Amino acid sequence: MKFVVLVKQVPDTNEVEVDEETGTIIREGVPSVLNAFDEFALNVAVDLKEKIDKEVEIIALSMGPPQAEEALNKCLAIGADRAILLTDKIFAGADTWATAVTLGRALKKIGEVDLIFAGQEASDGNTAQVGPEVAAHQGISQLTYVTEIEDFDPEVGEIICRKEIDEGHLMVKGDMPLLLACMPRPDFEPKIPNIREIMKAKKKRKETWSYEDLGGDEEDYGLEGSESVVIKTYSPPPKGEGIKIDEEPERAVEKLLRFLDEEGIL
Amino acid sequence: MAETDLSDERGLTEEQKLFRESISDWGERNLPLERVIEMNREGHPFPEDIIQGLADLGVIMGPVPEEHGGMGLSWKDQSIIEEQIGYIDPSIATAAGFMAVETGWGFTINRYCNEEIREKYIKPAIRGEKFVGIATTEPKGGSDVAGFESTAEKDGDEWVLNGEKTFISGVEECQKIGGGYWVNVRTGPKIDEAPHKNMTAFFVPIDTDGLEPQEPYDDAGRGSLSTSGFVMNDVRVPEKYMLGEQGKGFYYTMEGFDNARIMIGASAVGVTRRILEEAADYIKERETFGRPLAKYEAIQFPFVERYTEMEASKLMVRKTAEMQDVRYDETGWGEKTGDPKTYKPTEIAKWISMIKYKVPHLAKDTADDAMHWLGAAGYSSEYVFETAWRGVMSYCVGAEGGANIQKIVIGRETLGKDYVPYK
Ligand SMILES: Cc1cc2nc3c(=O)[nH]c(=O)nc-3n(C[C@H](O)[C@H](O)[C@H](O)COP(=O)(O)OP(=O)(O)OC[C@H]3O[C@@H](n4cnc5c(N)ncnc54)[C@H](O)[C@@H]3O)c2cc1C
Repeated sequence: MKFVVLVKQVPDTNEVEVDEETGTIIREGVPSVLNAFDEFALNVAVDLKEKIDKEVEIIALSMGPPQAEEALNKCLAIGADRAILLTDKIFAGADTWATAVTLGRALKKIGEVDLIFAGQEASDGNTAQVGPEVAAHQGISQLTYVTEIEDFDPEVGEIICRKEIDEGHLMVKGDMPLLLACMPRPDFEPKIPNIREIMKAKKKRKETWSYEDLGGDEEDYGLEGSESVVIKTYSPPPKGEGIKIDEEPERAVEKLLRFLDEEGIL
Repeated sequence: MAETDLSDERGLTEEQKLFRESISDWGERNLPLERVIEMNREGHPFPEDIIQGLADLGVIMGPVPEEHGGMGLSWKDQSIIEEQIGYIDPSIATAAGFMAVETGWGFTINRYCNEEIREKYIKPAIRGEKFVGIATTEPKGGSDVAGFESTAEKDGDEWVLNGEKTFISGVEECQKIGGGYWVNVRTGPKIDEAPHKNMTAFFVPIDTDGLEPQEPYDDAGRGSLSTSGFVMNDVRVPEKYMLGEQGKGFYYTMEGFDNARIMIGASAVGVTRRILEEAADYIKERETFGRPLAKYEAIQFPFVERYTEMEASKLMVRKTAEMQDVRYDETGWGEKTGDPKTYKPTEIAKWISMIKYKVPHLAKDTADDAMHWLGAAGYSSEYVFETAWRGVMSYCVGAEGGANIQKIVIGRETLGKDYVPYK
């Protein structure tokens, strides 16, 4: 079986700078990490592989600048078997649409895939669009906000997932091939790769694919292939300081009620 | 983790960066500073969950070849691991006890032991199930490594050991989880002109009849790891538990010291960095007379001086670890104490002594400075500085060889043998 995990390297800071001309994030010089949502998705894939009694190849797939290789190295240490980096100047500046097109072409080149795991969103753009768009491009079903895999039957090709919704959660059954957009559970602790796994990762298969490898029209990719244009980026004004009532419960309730009353909220 | 980040990953390989990341993540989850301080207060034996955690993380005895249960890491790799362990545990108990001792000495035991010892002790120690250590120091022989008195006499295919070993790391832990020690004894008469001759190394399991562990010392620091000793009354070990060849113990011991001392130097770099980062957070925040402490030259200048020395020490440690890699690469696995073409072993030993002398002192002095920078807060065990200060002092006064002994080696290699002080 083949699992593909879509991963992205993101800046490890909230103080991201934005290129005023293109409206995209400047990544140079900012320390980068594996997107936490994707790390969770990979952990889900690795756990699933460990649980089932079948040969599974996990491929970590990323589009990004050459330095995104670092995030893929981490994926290999965590448990991916193979890593593919899609990197080319032509891919640069892609919005979610062009990203999904690029990833989709790579998925086609990879061949038959049983499950695609994606993070629900990336902590830099927070659009939550790429996973679902990839599924749409591939013409396969998708499950979003997946926090856990409850049951998996590789023979039948069925998977039951726990999906978070505002009111609680749902148990949803899906047929493979399927894309799962994964959302870390609050108690999730990512697997820490040990030294042995890190050294083993060094020997795993790593590839870099460029535009030449994916083919198609140049205009489908990157900034040119993007359907959306960022008109303006700005930091929202900082929230004012809240009010903290630090009292015994009874006094606190009293104070709170008085405050709500005075503000005309009650 | 401190807000201030003084790490610099440039020059590291991708794998080395990941080692550091994993160790930091593990440390944050399992060994935050509060736990380090608490562990030291609670005292020994060293907590088993931490031993197991370190083993699972794969940081013990990395340079042992893969076919012997290790990972065949370079000493450079292992020194980067050790540095990060020192960073997460500035009390140095982890770095000292379970990393340096087991890695430096365990690796060297593995070079000279038989398959049985490897299977029964080395491999389990790498898995965190046993402890292996070194017992060379005696009441009458510390710095003077060859000045000891323990003996071994042959009886059939066994050797009978008698004597006393003192100030030995990890005896209590070894009793608790099992394991054994590299024990130096004399297998022939003491030759006054050449006391290192007739020195032979054995591996002695901790539970051997006649081996009587002593009460642990109440040490100034490294509270979570025991230091004690044992008396040997007719301790019998089979001939096959001799490490290497009879009469070569002194040379193997020097090799073990070399390996362990690289680990000490590396961990002291990490300790220094952690102290500087924690201190930086505080002095940037704390205001006196309307300004942050960090603005006063009396605080900022010693801070940057220590930082500069830390970076210099880091480069020295890495160069030294690379030299040790050349030594093992060129002489090859299984060779006796190496004689590489590129560096003389004594030249490598000089570099090793330079880091063993310099870096623990730097860490100790930085902790001392930090306590001054923070005032009363720095003196309290709310902060890690006093714990670090007490811990790293062990490496200044004696553990793995006192500072003066390192200086004698450096002096011998720079001024020449004619100037060795005690000859
Ligand atoms: C915490 C801790 C853990 C230890 N763990 C172990 C262990 O696991 N196994 C083990 O075998 N040993 C261990 N030791 C012992 C250590 O190896 C000795 O402390 C060290 O060799 C120094 O010996 P000593 O303490 O007997 O001091 P001494 O040899 O008595 O020396 C006292 C002082 O004099 C200096 N000195 C000695 N000779 C000279 C000279 N010729 N010129 C100038 N100065 C000199 C020394 O540097 C030292 O400062 C440990 C020690 C400590 C503190």
